[in-house]
Amino acid sequence: MASRTELSDFLASAEKRAYKQALYAIRDPDHALDVVQDAMIKLTENYADRPASELPMLFTRIVQNAVYDFFRRQKVRSTWVSLFSSFLPEDDEADPLETLSTFEAGGHNPSAEDEVDRNQVVNAIEQEIGRLPARQREAFLLRYWEDMDVAETAATMKCSEGSVKTHCSRATQALARALKDRGISL
Amino acid sequence: MKHTINESEFAYRIRQALDESTLQLDSHTLRRLHEARQKALQRVSTEPQTVPVWHRAFAAVGPRLTPEESGFSHWLKGVGIVAPLLALVIGVVGIKEWQADRFTSELAEQDFALLIDDTPIDALAHQGFSAYLHASTESL
Repeated sequence: MASRTELSDFLASAEKRAYKQALYAIRDPDHALDVVQDAMIKLTENYADRPASELPMLFTRIVQNAVYDFFRRQKVRSTWVSLFSSFLPEDDEADPLETLSTFEAGGHNPSAEDEVDRNQVVNAIEQEIGRLPARQREAFLLRYWEDMDVAETAATMKCSEGSVKTHCSRATQALARALKDRGISL
Repeated sequence: MKHTINESEFAYRIRQALDESTLQLDSHTLRRLHEARQKALQRVSTEPQTVPVWHRAFAAVGPRLTPEESGFSHWLKGVGIVAPLLALVIGVVGIKEWQADRFTSELAEQDFALLIDDTPIDALAHQGFSAYLHASTESL
């Protein structure tokens, strides 16, 4: 069982990444903060008796589910989902979240500076991450930012391992292409 | 020639950038995250949860126990779960016994009828044998 200190330390170490992931998906800072708070409360209320080693995986899943719940609630309220309905999903698997995938409509800026400082590079990467289709972004971030293996990512996303590999590969290609168009090479 | 990228290496550089992005969060966001964490930690029970194994097994059907509950009230709630189950088991066993007794009595009646030569032997193969026996018994 994780002690209170272990829980606190874990949340302190994971909260920023969780917030960023929620923000990339939801694109509203206040809603993203609410989602992260709900996820933290669920973790401490329901899983505080689990060993500390299980917390990262559990918390990641809870955050993902909280994001899904947020979109479901949004769908029921039927507000801005229709604004994105004209964007077709790019993946083989039909997923309602795919319709929410495009961020900041508009083309890339081909005349971006060749030399940008690090903050601008980071901002550009974040924007391109936000532009990825939802499932691609989710797979990429879980796999490469949360350090999950393919099987864990598939379990969290409730899809096959093959789909995870496909999503990650497409996300990598799309990111590389987009950053190259901006004149950014990593 | 198609340019291929090393996915892992590329992802590692993206990861570095994303890690840097978390260091650029504004003070408002950091404060909200801190408050959220404190709120969540307040929900953690200060006492270790000593829920007995049998309670976990019946958690779906029985009343929910809180860590504060213990002693006699704890025992009473346990009885509240076990007693109905015990009554159900006793009831099922009783019904089975009663049916077995009834079946034995019917067999005894048939044997008795055969022993007093009141029943033709061909009647044993007839499907309405039981009805015949009842009718014969009533006419006696």
